[in-house]
Amino acid sequence: MTTESASRIPPPAEETAPSSDVTLTVNGKLHSLRVDNRTSLLDLLREHLGLTGSKTGCNAGACGACTVLVDGRRVNSCLTLAVRLEGAEVTTVEGLADGDELHPLQQAFIDLDAAQCGFCTPGQIMSGVGCIREGHTGSGEEIREWMSGNICRCGCYVNIVRAVGQTAGRI
Amino acid sequence: MTPQPQAAVGAPLTRVDARLKVTGQARYAADFDADGLVHAVVVDSGIGLGRITSVDTAAALALPGVLTVLTHLNAPRLPYGPNPGMATPPGERLHVLEDDRVRFHGQPVAVVVATTLETARHAARLVRVEYDAEPPSTDLSTATDDTPVTYERGDAERALRSADVRLELTYRTARQHHNAMEPHATVARWDDGRLTVWQKTQWIHGAQSELAAVFGLPEDAVRVVSPFVGGAFGNASRIWPQGVMASLAAREVGRPVKLVLSRRQLYFGTGYRPGYEYQVRLGSDGQGRLTAMTHVMRAETSRYETFQDDILSIGQMLYDVPAVTQDWRTVPLDVSTPTFMRGPGGATAAYAVESAMDELACELGLDPIELRLRNEPDRDPTSGLPFSTRRLRQCYATGARAFGWHPRDPKPRSTRDGDWLIGTGMATGAHPSWSVTSLAHVRLDADGTAVVQSATSDMGPGTYTVMTQVAADALGLPVSAVRFELGDSTMPPPVGHGGSMTTPSVGSAVQDGCAKLRREAVELAVKDEESPLFGAAADDVVVADGRLYVRDEPARGETYRSLLARSGRDRLEADGEYVPAGLPFSTHSYSVTFAEVAVDARLGLVRVRRMLGVYDVGRVINPKLAVSQAIGGMIGGIGQALLEHTVTDHRDGRIVNANLADYLVPVNADIPDLKAIYLEGEDDKVARIGAKGLGEVVHVGVAPALANAVFHATGRRIRELPITADALL
Repeated sequence: MTTESASRIPPPAEETAPSSDVTLTVNGKLHSLRVDNRTSLLDLLREHLGLTGSKTGCNAGACGACTVLVDGRRVNSCLTLAVRLEGAEVTTVEGLADGDELHPLQQAFIDLDAAQCGFCTPGQIMSGVGCIREGHTGSGEEIREWMSGNICRCGCYVNIVRAVGQTAGRI
Repeated sequence: MTPQPQAAVGAPLTRVDARLKVTGQARYAADFDADGLVHAVVVDSGIGLGRITSVDTAAALALPGVLTVLTHLNAPRLPYGPNPGMATPPGERLHVLEDDRVRFHGQPVAVVVATTLETARHAARLVRVEYDAEPPSTDLSTATDDTPVTYERGDAERALRSADVRLELTYRTARQHHNAMEPHATVARWDDGRLTVWQKTQWIHGAQSELAAVFGLPEDAVRVVSPFVGGAFGNASRIWPQGVMASLAAREVGRPVKLVLSRRQLYFGTGYRPGYEYQVRLGSDGQGRLTAMTHVMRAETSRYETFQDDILSIGQMLYDVPAVTQDWRTVPLDVSTPTFMRGPGGATAAYAVESAMDELACELGLDPIELRLRNEPDRDPTSGLPFSTRRLRQCYATGARAFGWHPRDPKPRSTRDGDWLIGTGMATGAHPSWSVTSLAHVRLDADGTAVVQSATSDMGPGTYTVMTQVAADALGLPVSAVRFELGDSTMPPPVGHGGSMTTPSVGSAVQDGCAKLRREAVELAVKDEESPLFGAAADDVVVADGRLYVRDEPARGETYRSLLARSGRDRLEADGEYVPAGLPFSTHSYSVTFAEVAVDARLGLVRVRRMLGVYDVGRVINPKLAVSQAIGGMIGGIGQALLEHTVTDHRDGRIVNANLADYLVPVNADIPDLKAIYLEGEDDKVARIGAKGLGEVVHVGVAPALANAVFHATGRRIRELPITADALL
């Protein structure tokens, strides 16, 4: 993890909206920021840090397109306020690979064609990483249940389950 | 010319853009940024019909960071010129922020622009709009319909009177919203009177011409960029008001504007599959030979546009019925305009027709496949034309074998597994194979790599990959040496990305451009005294792995690189064109879907146990991606059959389940292992490339296969979609 003091974001909305200082780590990079108290982790990532891999699908915790890991646990970043993340470690899809070496689940998504339009894919992969860490991969049925917070409208579920199951067996 | 070796086409290659998608680097409309970007949020009407009597924007404007609030009171009037090329429904598209009329619940009535997204969202909630509300008419079942569209062959009434078996059945389908994962989004920027939009769209040049028409600009003053589309299913085939509002707001504030609709707003004014009432009458002889079929259909549309999908084809061409009538009426309601949704019309018609066929099979005591075989036409009964290819018999045989259809106890409620009643069902689908004039551009660089462009889209089927494969073979290059680019209005215009037209049309244009370029290279080589190919007949030369050689003399040849280097050319270029030949054939893709369901005898829960789709779609360019599409089509059909239903409160026209928690779509736990089989073969009558298109047909016939399986399991014939637990209790 690098400990450089990262970009300082100018305060939003001409200083008037209630805002707070927060220091958090995103994909191994430390950020000390002043954020509007209303800012969700998702909007912080997308609109302030330029990390647009996490997607806004419903902004209501119902679709999973915004799934990231916070301190190793999968969360809906659209429902997570950024100011609550003092000291937290956030991992997004952009931070999953080790340099050019993809995470095995990313590679499995490629090999098994578990993405079509690709919009839900970052959330599916982050959720899949969480699902594997939680050990909810004992059977196809268990994976299906624990991956049901991530909607895929193109209908890649069959291949997503295979990708998660195959990766769980390997790591 | 000697046919090129086929190395890439037909191979189950991995998506060329997969790495971008799994690393979060694929950029969708809302992922684009621009210097000085500000945010816009739309305010929707709180009534379903009436007039705006006042708008109070003071509290919103008082918030620091709010740049403007645009309403009909202060927004500049836009030209909204005609745009015949856009093929929008008859009527006039919605003009937003132009007058005080509210035509449907959730219509945009204001747009707030602020320096941050948080402020724009907050300010949108502070805009106070007062209305003079009237009761809207939103109920299809009670409203008055338009003049019908009709079709007639033979004397259906007489045939019905003398039929051995007659059935009269009415089916209903719910309104469905596409709910692509990516919301509609636009980033708009003006530079010296020229507009650039990064915009979700399935039709780059359609979006360009529409924005140009709305703003009164020449088309080349508008640039549309859309390299990735996060699903669409027909929903991004036209421009919705957010594209206009983002562009208008950007012009007014003099800064780039990003406008992303909320999930809730996607249910208001961005199109949907219309709900239908579909009445069928069937007449047959004692052996199951159909003698008559009549169809009376009523469908939702808005009052400002008459939307019509392809509801008629299935009823006309699927079976060899001598007497058919169709009477199709749209019903104008105080709603927004519907639009095409995967299997548009066909998925609705197939539900009614294929359910009715199942009911007839039961009535006659015939196997459902046998009934269909007895009514399989030899020529298109609508036009009398021969079919280009129609291999439904093979689909039935292949599917029945692979699914284990026989032996099947036809008696409903005959199989039980504990509390679960088990049933199987099948249904047939078809979708017209259209192709439309399309253009492409090909460039081969001195390093032996190629760039191929066409302003098409890839909403998920794999356009990037498929076009790369077609180009690679036509040029004789490895896939890794070809880059296909799409999604920019500065590229050559193809057909819009929908209707299963992309692979046949754009693929044929790409192939044409690549073949022309290859031909030029070959001509260059055979006329060059220094080339090993000098003097060879151009027709005998093929290209593989970037090397040109005489087919029967493989040692005699040279690479593109050496040819270009010696001839001092830094590139070769060619334009590809596809123009449909318009051959006198009936052209369709076909599907047969098999399903097994389990229904909880006490709770009415329906669980899909397994499904199989068998398809006749001509040439399959990439079997791996084609199977993914088929599975996706089946899952879409599971949603249509068992889950999806947009619910309107008819008192005020409000959609009450406008979110993904209350509008149910299939999730992972709903989906078992699904299988797809594509028949080998090609169809050279549809398009040069031999493909008939498959994205639509994989959805058509899925819902009736499930509905028929539910009947077989339970003995309950539910004639309304979705089939929910309450209907089975």
